[in-house]
Amino acid sequence: MLARSCLRSARAFSGLRNGAVHVSKRAASSSSSGANAESPLRLNIAAAAATAVAASSIAWYYHLYGPTADAATPAEEGLHPTKYPWVHQQWFKTFDHQALRRGFQVYREVCASCHSLSRVPYRALVGTILTLDEAKALAEENEYDSEPNEQGEIEKRPGKLSDYLPDPYKNEEAARFANNGALPPDLSLIVKGRHGGCDYIFSLLTGYPDEPPAGAQVGAGLNFNPYFPGTGIAMARVLYDGLVDYEDGTPATTSQMAKDVTEFLNWAAEPEMDDRKRMGMKVLVATSVLFALSVWVKRYKWAWLKSRKIVYDPPKTPNTPPRL
Amino acid sequence: MGIWDAITELVEAAAPWSTADAEAPAQAPEETKAEEPEEEEEEEEEEEPVDPKETFEEECKNSKECAPAKHHYDECVERVTNAEANGGTKEDCVEEFFHLVHCATQCAAPKLWAALK
Ligand code: HEC
Repeated sequence: MLARSCLRSARAFSGLRNGAVHVSKRAASSSSSGANAESPLRLNIAAAAATAVAASSIAWYYHLYGPTADAATPAEEGLHPTKYPWVHQQWFKTFDHQALRRGFQVYREVCASCHSLSRVPYRALVGTILTLDEAKALAEENEYDSEPNEQGEIEKRPGKLSDYLPDPYKNEEAARFANNGALPPDLSLIVKGRHGGCDYIFSLLTGYPDEPPAGAQVGAGLNFNPYFPGTGIAMARVLYDGLVDYEDGTPATTSQMAKDVTEFLNWAAEPEMDDRKRMGMKVLVATSVLFALSVWVKRYKWAWLKSRKIVYDPPKTPNTPPRL
Repeated sequence: MGIWDAITELVEAAAPWSTADAEAPAQAPEETKAEEPEEEEEEEEEEEPVDPKETFEEECKNSKECAPAKHHYDECVERVTNAEANGGTKEDCVEEFFHLVHCATQCAAPKLWAALK
């Protein structure tokens, strides 16, 4: 005890450096002495426990929330469509308007007898799919209600560019009646309205197998299609090889027609796509020009600061008094 | 797409001279008339086009890639048809079919897009 206090006082007097040496010596001696030694295991217990807690909390989390329960069987969910490399979906690509023209032909010759396309006016087709004269001629093929005449009668008049494509049925009831109770949906926004978009529509149209897989239950009046949720769809396969005669001589295979009509339906759902991408490109051009400009302006504004030089010029001979 | 495509298209979009007209282009009537009969003859000779999708998917189904899925599907079909013959079963091969079709379409997709216009 006495020795210890002596040591302490000595340390107090001997300044910081000696004291530090002394303390480090003590620490070294205490860890090497056997009596109250901390074994490496005990030192690591806290770290090991913390790690175990962390690992088990992750395990617990996945035990609680990891496995997902699906409310639907895969058949009820429907087969998820394969992703196809649609060119028009790339950032810097437009619709292939030749394909749109073919797709519109498929819609008119095949789908239009059951599906309306009620959000598309003839004028939208001008310049994108048809020429002005073609669109006018097409509009005139159909009759529309005119304004009431002086007797209040509503007469029919030939269609104009501002009219919308005609519906195949008078109303929903008529549509259902003609299709075994199933309603063929309007196709104007169908690409946006279905998960999988273009891939789904294309897969749906081309995905009818020759016969349903063994044991599959297909309801009365329904057709097996793996992509349709529930696999039983009221629309039978409509596209068959050689069904239409393309004016540009493209072989009208099932998948070609499906691809064209899908791209056309994508156009119907977002006719602004080409313009939107063009606008995006303009934004890129404008912002890159502005950015370049700002870099030059910054260089100009900072030039004086960057090129200045601060020099300390010490007097060469400090002892000689400055000459006045 | 390559960076070069992006640049050329950037230029095309910015260029004021790349425009499309809604008016029908003025036609050279003589030429088209001369060609028409020939084309029609050719079309008549043509047989029904063969759908490349089916060809590619058939190839894919029989490829090594889809062998496990095809194996499971074939086995299921055999099991279920046998069971049906012996009095019925609740099992169906829809899931096995899904896996096979998924594999085949996945494998055929790039080839199909290269073949279609
Ligand atoms: C004979 C009439 C008929 C023709 C022709 C027809 N469809 Fe259909 N379509 C239907 C019916 C009916 C439904 C509703 C099916 C259901 O709900 O089970 C339907 C549904 C659809 C659906 C919606 C599927 C869904 O996910 O809800 C799409 C997309 C579709 N048809 C596209 C087309 C295209 C594209 C064409 C032309 C190539 C076409 N259809 C031709 C009758 C037809």
